[in-house]
Amino acid sequence: MLEIKEKSISVLIDTSKCGTCETKACEVACKKYARGILAIVDGKPSVAHLSESQVLRLGTECLACEIACLFEGNKAISIDVSVVGLPEYVARRGLAY
Amino acid sequence: MARFLEYQGKEWLAKAGMPVPKGRPASTPEEARQAAEWIGGPVAVKGQVQAGGRGKAGIVKLVNTPEEAAKVASEILAKTVKGFPIHQVLIEEKLDIKKEYYCSFVVNGAREARSPMLMFSTEGGMDIEGVAEELIIKANIDPIFGLQMYDAIDICVKAGIPDKDLNKFAAFLTKLSATYKKYDCQTLEINPFVMTGNGDLVCADCKMEIDNSSVNRHPEFGIRIARDLPGEPTELDIIGWSIEETDARGTGFLMNMGYDEKSPGYVGYHPIGGGSAMMGLDALNQVGLKPANYADTSGNPVGSKIYRVAKCVLSQPNIDGYLLGGFMMANQEQWHHANAMVKVLREILPKRPGMPCVLLLCGNREDESLEIMRNGLKDMMTEDGPGKRIEIYGKEYVTDTKFIGERLLALSTEYRAEKEA
Repeated sequence: MLEIKEKSISVLIDTSKCGTCETKACEVACKKYARGILAIVDGKPSVAHLSESQVLRLGTECLACEIACLFEGNKAISIDVSVVGLPEYVARRGLAY
Repeated sequence: MARFLEYQGKEWLAKAGMPVPKGRPASTPEEARQAAEWIGGPVAVKGQVQAGGRGKAGIVKLVNTPEEAAKVASEILAKTVKGFPIHQVLIEEKLDIKKEYYCSFVVNGAREARSPMLMFSTEGGMDIEGVAEELIIKANIDPIFGLQMYDAIDICVKAGIPDKDLNKFAAFLTKLSATYKKYDCQTLEINPFVMTGNGDLVCADCKMEIDNSSVNRHPEFGIRIARDLPGEPTELDIIGWSIEETDARGTGFLMNMGYDEKSPGYVGYHPIGGGSAMMGLDALNQVGLKPANYADTSGNPVGSKIYRVAKCVLSQPNIDGYLLGGFMMANQEQWHHANAMVKVLREILPKRPGMPCVLLLCGNREDESLEIMRNGLKDMMTEDGPGKRIEIYGKEYVTDTKFIGERLLALSTEYRAEKEA
């Protein structure tokens, strides 16, 4: 599992699913919608060519890799975008989301 | 602007050395009685609410005993003024008023000024709006040095203050000017400040508003949200503020619009830009729908910020639908909205199946953005799918508020009927 921490989100990539991916749609989306921080290394997405500070500086939190992977790749990416206070807000109202 | 209630403003005035009446706030009749006892003698009971015209609204009363103070406080605390419930009263010593005056420091945004401005009049008290223009003396104040004594004397002479009182008034005004600067106020209005029977000048009221941009310099104020809110921030306001507080990558604004979380006919409202937001409100007004909240994701915000705002808007209980109102040909790259919408709707709609979502997205990268949304939501937009009431529109409807409103109304009416069946 690869975890990429951007300024306010975490991108989780289950790289065990990436070997059989033929599209590498995440990399394409990253270049098209953002600044192309994802590179494909040994058939898997990686940011190893960048330092942590470069990832923080260049990452734009565009969410595009998750959507691209969901529809064109192997459903390997999930992005955690927390909203401070929202879980408590919905819980207090008995809502389940 | 972050606004203080009267008693809060007076506490800060007192700390700055300005004369204020002896008093303290109370939240219950018993606290009011104790405060009146502590003060001793006749007191004023003043409802604390962010609204003008309190005297006319009947929430400022004079009483003679602690028991009367408790009774009047009980009456005032049960009132609502201009939609704002009153949670506190200020119990304050009754002043021996000889004459009332008006002064206000505001920001004069006129091109030739762009500085603080003092407005001063000897006709203070109620109905200041009705005082003749020529009786209100106005003077721009140097933003660096503040009001100087010689300028203050000049202003007081123009206002007709007698010679024997010039120094007293000028000293009061210069000290207030320093207070205005010290607290980074946007507005500091004292109406009235009074001359007592002893000849003392006292701040009998206080309207203090702090410049939002300076709130971070004043942790002592304990202001949680540096925004223009009509009252105490709601839970949604606080969540909305957390999205923006440390993230300046485009706008991701969210605030409550007084929605009671129960009434029918409210929709989650997610406009893109201020002008667009007004058109979106037209769309809702034309068909009798109401916005549960206000939002804005413009200025090319990052996808994560758009997602956060949309998720909060969609998470409000009992809303009858959701409107992404992009009533403009936006310059920002709309695909960030598209990706965010796909992610958030795929998370929310399985838990609120059938909720109407009218998505209007126009402008830069529009075709690709609409394609992202159509492809990303296609599997949910089936006849029985959780996204069966998603409708996606582009530039053909960018100014057609009537059509968008009518679509949302039709879908929300259907949705409500389905929920109630």
